Amino acid sequence: MSQPSALSTNGLSRRKFMAGTVSAAAAAPLLASRAEATAPAAAQPKLRQPVITSLRINKQAYELSLDARTSLLDALRDHIGLTGTKKGCDHGQCGACTVLVDGKRVLSCLSFAVMNDGKDVTTIEGLASTDGKLHPMQQAFIDHDAFQCGYCTPGQIMSGIGCVNEGHAESENDIREYMSGNICRCAAYPNIVAAILQARGETKGA
Amino acid sequence: MDAAAPRPKENQGEPLPRVDARLKVTGQAHYPADLPTANLAYGALATSRIAKGRVTKLRLDDARAVPGLLDIVTYGDMDKVDKPKFGNSGATSIGPLHDRTIFHDGQIIALAVAETFEAAEEAAQLIRAEYEEEKPTASFDSPGTKTVAAAGKSPMFKEDVKAGDFDAAFAAAAVKIDQRYSTPTQHHNPIELFSTTAYWQGDQLVVHEPSQNVTGWKVELARQLKMDPANVRIVSPFIGGAFGSKGPMTPRTAIVAVAAKRLGRPVRCVTSRMQAFGTQTYRAETRHRIRIGAGKDGRITAFAHEGWEVTSRPDLYVVGGTSATGRMYGYGSVLTHVSLVQADRNTPGYMRSPPETPYVYALENAMDEMAVALGMDPVEFRRINEPKTEPIGKKPFSSRSLIQCYDQAAAAFGWAKRDPKVGAMRDGDWLVGMGCATAIYPSAVAPCAARVRLTSDGEVRVQCGSHEIGTGIRTVAGQMASERLGVAIDKISVEMGDSGLPPAPVSGGSISTASVCSAVLKACDAIRSKLFAAATAEGSPLAGSHNEEFDLADGKIVAKSGASAKVEDVMKIMQVGAIEEYAEFAPKGATPEALKKLYAGTPEFHGGEQDEDSVKYAFGAEFVEVRINRYTREIRVPRIVGAFAAGRIMNTRTARSQLMGGMIWGIGQALHEATEVDRRYARYVNRDLQDYLVPVNADIKDLQVILVPEVDHAVNPAGVKGLGELGNVGTAAAVASAVYHATGKRIRDLPIRIEQLLA
Ligand code: FES
Ligand code: FES
Repeated sequence: MSQPSALSTNGLSRRKFMAGTVSAAAAAPLLASRAEATAPAAAQPKLRQPVITSLRINKQAYELSLDARTSLLDALRDHIGLTGTKKGCDHGQCGACTVLVDGKRVLSCLSFAVMNDGKDVTTIEGLASTDGKLHPMQQAFIDHDAFQCGYCTPGQIMSGIGCVNEGHAESENDIREYMSGNICRCAAYPNIVAAILQARGETKGA
Repeated sequence: MDAAAPRPKENQGEPLPRVDARLKVTGQAHYPADLPTANLAYGALATSRIAKGRVTKLRLDDARAVPGLLDIVTYGDMDKVDKPKFGNSGATSIGPLHDRTIFHDGQIIALAVAETFEAAEEAAQLIRAEYEEEKPTASFDSPGTKTVAAAGKSPMFKEDVKAGDFDAAFAAAAVKIDQRYSTPTQHHNPIELFSTTAYWQGDQLVVHEPSQNVTGWKVELARQLKMDPANVRIVSPFIGGAFGSKGPMTPRTAIVAVAAKRLGRPVRCVTSRMQAFGTQTYRAETRHRIRIGAGKDGRITAFAHEGWEVTSRPDLYVVGGTSATGRMYGYGSVLTHVSLVQADRNTPGYMRSPPETPYVYALENAMDEMAVALGMDPVEFRRINEPKTEPIGKKPFSSRSLIQCYDQAAAAFGWAKRDPKVGAMRDGDWLVGMGCATAIYPSAVAPCAARVRLTSDGEVRVQCGSHEIGTGIRTVAGQMASERLGVAIDKISVEMGDSGLPPAPVSGGSISTASVCSAVLKACDAIRSKLFAAATAEGSPLAGSHNEEFDLADGKIVAKSGASAKVEDVMKIMQVGAIEEYAEFAPKGATPEALKKLYAGTPEFHGGEQDEDSVKYAFGAEFVEVRINRYTREIRVPRIVGAFAAGRIMNTRTARSQLMGGMIWGIGQALHEATEVDRRYARYVNRDLQDYLVPVNADIKDLQVILVPEVDHAVNPAGVKGLGELGNVGTAAAVASAVYHATGKRIRDLPIRIEQLLA
């Protein structure tokens, strides 16, 4: 029903898994706090040891010192303050955290921030032009009332753009299928399909 | 006009886009866990791995060794705080850290607080508990359940309704059925995770938490923390879906508040999806026995509905849907009885149409069986049993447009083309089935306060402590002000979701639009009266036209005669820059304490079946087409049509969206949703969105909502019946009836899955 996640099927969350790995190899000294994180990023990041990560988000460069376990989602929300990207499960099962990485849709909760070093990330905050004009997909979501509570909406919109650019918005059935990794508990589905149909022409290559 | 914005018919408002739509599509709508908070510490919960017994020992050393750990709140740390209470604003009476007794699996045993989210999670998982474990009771049929009568256990469920002599009528009936039905455990699973962020400013506590009940929570949290409610503020500007799950406050809120106090810095705890299954409320499993007797002419003479519902050990949570099912049709005699079955489970709570979803499912499935037994068209069977008055108290319905709903939905669906013979309709490898069912939801209303300000340059601010859970309440409250004050919607700002605002009732029971709009209407009308009085005073532009009717339009006071005066000029004469009115609305029949109770967070509900003069319900009819693959038995719902009548519709766009969402919930209830309980451990198994199935985009195809015009002045001043919980009532029965029509298999236990059709 939703996008599969290999790590959650055996009952282990990503963090549990990492914690387990490290206590088995706990020889290296651990830095006590983020304040001490001045050392340059090691080739092999160690758990808990802050890693300097360069991210390009919505065309802005950020350099962050992050716990190596920090997801891209938490980096966006907690470290950069871009809270438009939402956490609905933290397990790759709902799509609320969808962003574009180098133009492709990615579940930011399933990607460590350090894995995105040097990559180009687009979030919901980066879609409207600087003069405030909405992206056609955003406008289409308003026109078709493609949300109720609005919580899944940033993920739906980013996913909708990804879906169009992948060539998976050729038919209504395609849209339904390729948007099924984004759960909307308010169930705005027919309106989401209508919004993507409206915006697909203008979105292509936008 | 496109499907999302239905053209308004009689007594229906314009399909304006949501006033907060732009915020929602740009990522600027701030849900509570998004609100910027400086110097934040992160909390993570540790929860029980047993369902019954005691925690004998907690080993915290490993957790404390995690770099960045700041604090662990656990047993002993909540002793100066009062225990939670069950009922009104409280989800449960279980104070998880007040004593070491474990009442259910997943109960909170500690809160770890750290500099980062990662460190907090790591520490929480390193907290080791030792238990004295007892064998838990999981559910119905488990050894150790305790069954008690539900009547009188909740102020919302006073009695088992009855009428006439059921036994005699049933014995004498020419055609009868006696069947059992069941519905599974379900969790709301709003996409927004549950979270609490708390910080202190001196002796003032601020809590950011998604809430459907900020006033009630303020009072309840203050009680637990032994504070003056005036020093507690609950902030919840946007709520990422609620469906009842954010109505009652859970014990986590006070625990996080205590952690923030101990640390002297803000603490945020976002509950994981998995932990939410045990730390929040849910819809418990239910069982039903229904007996219906009728004459050969199809007239029902006897109806009995018995229900059994699971609840926790300490709290008697009642669903009690027999008050609606017992009044649905013109039964000759009625007998009902509801029982609560206590097990070692977390306390259930209300979830979208709590009583009607399971009880009307059972009733409507039985109605379809009865129509088959009578050899009658199911729509015709309902038409024959349409009542003049409700059968229990013989009161009239304030309005009842059920047959209009059936007629319009049947026409749009093409019901006439249905071949009633079981298995007669096919399309290649697909067996086609068509079914229908009734939707019903009580129309209630509660006291509510609102403040409205109109400035001389035509800006309006509406303030009301209600909650935008996705219903569009901000938009419709703005529309009400727009209509009464003659100001365009883009000049109106609507503030909600803060306990510092004028109090509104809990956003539950589909009362919000009626209650909030009635209060906004009252405040606007007070502004109008002031303006009209000033405009017609001696020396004013409309002097001498006292006896005329006025209206406000485009910044002008317009008399019926056509004479007009600018609001700006009238305010100049009044020597004011703005007029602001605070209004308190109390529904007809409210007690003298009704408004006081609103401020205390315990608002009275009126309407539904409680009023003297009439019973008040909204109705709908839903028609479903299912297709079942003849080899794999895969079940699809390619088509669904619902027609609903709910009094005045404030905004056809938001109304349609809510009803659409409800119908899709209904499809989920029919085919997808079920929390699996491991009966050995009384533990939920599928605690995530991968294994707890909800409808996704590919599950939904052609869906049509028809808004049937209805005028009802008796329900409340705004003329509004709620509809947020109407759409998902009956749907599952319509699906079950369509599945029967396609296959000849009557599925009585939800959800309907492939395996049931293979047997
Ligand atoms: S938060 Fe649900 S998929 Fe990432
Ligand atoms: S709009 Fe609420 S979850 Fe999609």
